[in-house]
Amino acid sequence: MRVGYRGLTRILPRRHSVALSAASVALLPWVPIGAHAQHCPAGLEVLVERPYAAAAGLTVGSAVVVRPAIEAEPCNAVVAGIFEPPPDPATLNATRPRVLFHLPHLQTLTDRRNEVDYFTVRTRPGTDLAALATDLEPLLPGAQVLPVSEVAERSSTTFRVVSRFHTAIAVITLIAGGVFLGCIMILKVQERRLPIAAARLTGIPRRLLFWWTVAEAAMLSTLGGAAGLGVGVASSAVVNAYYQRYYDTTLVFSQVTGVVVTEALALAVLLGMAAGVFAATRLLASDPLDEMGR
Amino acid sequence: MLALNSIREFRTRPLRTLLTLAGVAVTTAMLADMLMLGRGITRSFGELLESRGYELRLAPKGTLPFDTEATVPGFATLRDSVERVAGVDRVAPVLAASVTLETADDAGRSVEALALGMDSGDQGLYRLTEGEMPRPGEVLTDADVRGSLGVGPGNVVRLRPAGATGAWGRRSTAQVSGTGEFAFASRGDLQVVMRLDDLQELSSQEDQVSFAMIRIGEGFEPDSVRAAILARVDRVEIVTLAGISERLDGRLSYFRQTALILASVSLVVATLLVGTLTAVSVSERLGLIAALRAIGLSRRRIVGGLAAESVVLCSIGGAVGVALSVVVAGYLESILSDFPGLPVAVRFFVVSADSLVTAFALLLVSGTVAGLIPALNATRLEVASILHKEAP
Repeated sequence: MRVGYRGLTRILPRRHSVALSAASVALLPWVPIGAHAQHCPAGLEVLVERPYAAAAGLTVGSAVVVRPAIEAEPCNAVVAGIFEPPPDPATLNATRPRVLFHLPHLQTLTDRRNEVDYFTVRTRPGTDLAALATDLEPLLPGAQVLPVSEVAERSSTTFRVVSRFHTAIAVITLIAGGVFLGCIMILKVQERRLPIAAARLTGIPRRLLFWWTVAEAAMLSTLGGAAGLGVGVASSAVVNAYYQRYYDTTLVFSQVTGVVVTEALALAVLLGMAAGVFAATRLLASDPLDEMGR
Repeated sequence: MLALNSIREFRTRPLRTLLTLAGVAVTTAMLADMLMLGRGITRSFGELLESRGYELRLAPKGTLPFDTEATVPGFATLRDSVERVAGVDRVAPVLAASVTLETADDAGRSVEALALGMDSGDQGLYRLTEGEMPRPGEVLTDADVRGSLGVGPGNVVRLRPAGATGAWGRRSTAQVSGTGEFAFASRGDLQVVMRLDDLQELSSQEDQVSFAMIRIGEGFEPDSVRAAILARVDRVEIVTLAGISERLDGRLSYFRQTALILASVSLVVATLLVGTLTAVSVSERLGLIAALRAIGLSRRRIVGGLAAESVVLCSIGGAVGVALSVVVAGYLESILSDFPGLPVAVRFFVVSADSLVTAFALLLVSGTVAGLIPALNATRLEVASILHKEAP
């Protein structure tokens, strides 16, 4: 359950019950400051995300200067640790480094004492979340209470859109692949018109020749599908390596799952069989004597 | 003549020809669409920015307009410094804040919207469609706010900062002055505009702005004016339109890279298709080719005839594909138009002559090369041995 300020535009999912306050702060190289400004919390410590720490040359124990706004007075702080940012696709394009403070420190630093942007509530098993949200909201003026599933739903719009785009591209690719396969099968059966006509004249049943052609097409598409899966697995590895490096994240961008393998192979075989049926029907429709040049 | 021969050849095998044309058309459509996708976002966003008539943007350090809720404090002094820079013609400040609008009657309807506070008479971010521009104590809404609240020009609405309720936070009332279209509204966004000082007071952000648009005078270059402003003020970000487009492009680089990969795959598939068909077609006619060579037809003429088949295939299939790409682009655009956070006016697929011509030209060149290879190979074979092998 997430309780947040109504005007909050960015909703980040969290698993544990924590109160959070987000603010823009500037993290600057350390310069000696004579006296602590009044708003500076004592013993100010900060956790810095690994990619930024590496880029800025910060390590545990580094001294930094923090200020809540560019014109605000700076505060001395110490880097207490480096953290690996959770692999969250919603923050991939974040342009500013993320740092973590103790909540009271950030509240003091930004002069927002006793304020949080949102907090999460762990509920007992079996709780009706929708009913609880309805009951809680009137008690918290100006706040909205959302089940975590709804928070996830709202923050995953980008990925739903991208997923639909991928599906559309896959359909176009499938059409192109189907046409290609159909073309190859037509070429193959045209090459074989004479042997097939001869086979029919020697008494081999049409049904056997029909299924032979379909089976051949299915085998061809299965082999092609398997080779395509090999290319897919290799491409997936390349995509992950490239984007993980590009975004400096541990997020997995492409996964070849059992469902994907099954669907891809099933589609390839079905497409091959359809092309085979089409080609075999055309091949066996003609008179074998005509084909032999009667 | 060569083309006529090719068409005659295709008519003898209509199904094969139709399937190949369909394959070439689908792959050309994909190629053209990916070229549109690769260039579309930057182009349409650049056009949207340029249409506003301001060449520079001033934003809080490290941010872009509408990027965060950060503001630039002490704007009056900053504006004075910026306006003194040679080449600065006009500065248009904007404050953006989430507000709740309620009907003033007992209906109790309310919506949350993004309020823009702007100088009087400035239409840099919206276009007036009905009524008048907002004066002090007035608000101009978009059509969705108008529809949701059921208010029009002359009606009164209550305003408060989003999140404020009951006795907390400031509140005010405003008269609706008219309706407008907002240039940077994304899908589902509700927007209103009011006077800058009204919104600053309502949101308790006196003398603060979210960003400012800067128009430069004639004869001045945006980059040089930007440098001159940065020499005077160092606590803000000054970006040119090209800089904003570049940063957006960086954030949406996924689509550009996907477009590049899919365009390459499409081109390879089309080349393979044309190459395979030409190779089979040539192997079927080896006897004929050898006979033509034997009666004295030059290699160049035979290769030209075979290559013409590829050119005709690519020309017809490519033309159909180019037309198909416009339809497919519309379909894919309808999917990506739900992409959150982007202005509705920004399009992923911008149908442009250069994308269509490039796709067609790439296909024609690669298809012709794919057709030339088997044709050249066929004419290099020994004529006598082929005639012997192909003899009935």
